[in-house]
Amino acid sequence: MSASAAPSSQNRQSVYRCGPVRLVIDFDESEFADCLNPLLSQYDAPWDTAANTIHVLVQHSDCPADFSEVSGSYLTLQRLRVDLIDQRLVAIGPLGSRMDFDLNLGRARILVPTCSDRAGQIEEVEQQFVLLLARAWAQSGWTPLHAGSLVPPGQHRCILLCAPSGSGKTTLTSALLRRGWKTLGDDKTLLRMQNGTTCARALAHRFHLHPEAARWFPEARNLSDWPRYSRWTDKRVVQIEAIWPGRLLVESIPGGLVQVERSSEEFPLTVVPLNTTETFNVLLRQIVVPGEASHARPLVNCAAQTASRLRGARVRVGHNAFLRPQFAEELEKALLSLLA
Amino acid sequence: MILDLRTKFFFSVNISGWAIVQMFEAGATRSEVLAASANWGAGNDDHPAINAFIDQLLAEQLLEPASGTAAARSDVAVTAWTPPLLSKHKEPLQRIMVSAFDPGLPLAE
Repeated sequence: MSASAAPSSQNRQSVYRCGPVRLVIDFDESEFADCLNPLLSQYDAPWDTAANTIHVLVQHSDCPADFSEVSGSYLTLQRLRVDLIDQRLVAIGPLGSRMDFDLNLGRARILVPTCSDRAGQIEEVEQQFVLLLARAWAQSGWTPLHAGSLVPPGQHRCILLCAPSGSGKTTLTSALLRRGWKTLGDDKTLLRMQNGTTCARALAHRFHLHPEAARWFPEARNLSDWPRYSRWTDKRVVQIEAIWPGRLLVESIPGGLVQVERSSEEFPLTVVPLNTTETFNVLLRQIVVPGEASHARPLVNCAAQTASRLRGARVRVGHNAFLRPQFAEELEKALLSLLA
Repeated sequence: MILDLRTKFFFSVNISGWAIVQMFEAGATRSEVLAASANWGAGNDDHPAINAFIDQLLAEQLLEPASGTAAARSDVAVTAWTPPLLSKHKEPLQRIMVSAFDPGLPLAE
């Protein structure tokens, strides 16, 4: 990621490198530029390839967009409904923001009305940007995957960690980083088919780690000092290099998949193998598949081809497992068996 | 694998079933599919299974009747014929998602 900003009274232009996409954003309110900076600067993994540039105009609007104008046939998100109309993504949120993203021209305009719920409105606009980036990455040939990854010492193949937010992907990753494993990131990965194999690339090298993790990993003390990820969670945005230096990778080849589950049971670790169909099922559930066939097909194809090359397992991590001295060793053994 | 983008349900199909789906995608008729299946090794006693498969595609609205004609695909091939199978997975993909990057709903911390 690289970011630059040149304030001039209220207008401001910011430029962000977000993996294979470069965003050039013109704001007519500099406050919005500041509010969106934490989101857009998180894509800090280095990319040396040419970027697909998208121009975005963020403007104040006098009246809110009509939420009922879109049906959500392309995507229905918690904070947005999205339709595809004549090669334009039209996304409207319940607080009245509207994005019009011309996919052919690579230009988007986001209109933001006056709203008493400023925090909610900023989150809505953040979701507009996540939508814009996810489509731009897909148009660049990459499949956005909500998954973490782990690479054993001395190897180049990774294990993808799949689970909903809050299931323990980051904690599990941290438990092995301290034993010398490496990672592309804790929840944002891009996949691409290249010469018959899948390439996984890092997008963000910052973790979202709960301060509670300091109980298990003493070197991660002072987690509460890091900035909060969002108002909905206690998780902190942590520069992983500051805690576990030398553990970050930019690229790997997926060889295994783990579906991570948290359990209230005392059994520290349960490992159940997954067949190819189950592995595909788990992988696909970490990919946002839009309702437009021409956009969905490459994403589903990438998941299917990747899953056919993965050895999968469901890993259930028991209550207080990370406090047990032998847990990390057992976990390591289970994960290594997926790459054997 | 077939994913229904309207309902978000997905379906597993075997190789013969996938070949039949590809025929229909290109505009083949039921009788053209039966004829192609015979070329792939299906016998007359396979017709009930083929018809049941097509009826299941229709019932799940993965296939809908269309008028007009289209050139059926001649490049679809099945090397080892087995009766076509379609199996619907129990859980559909998520319909409402957290964000355009995160399809799941977060668990309570």
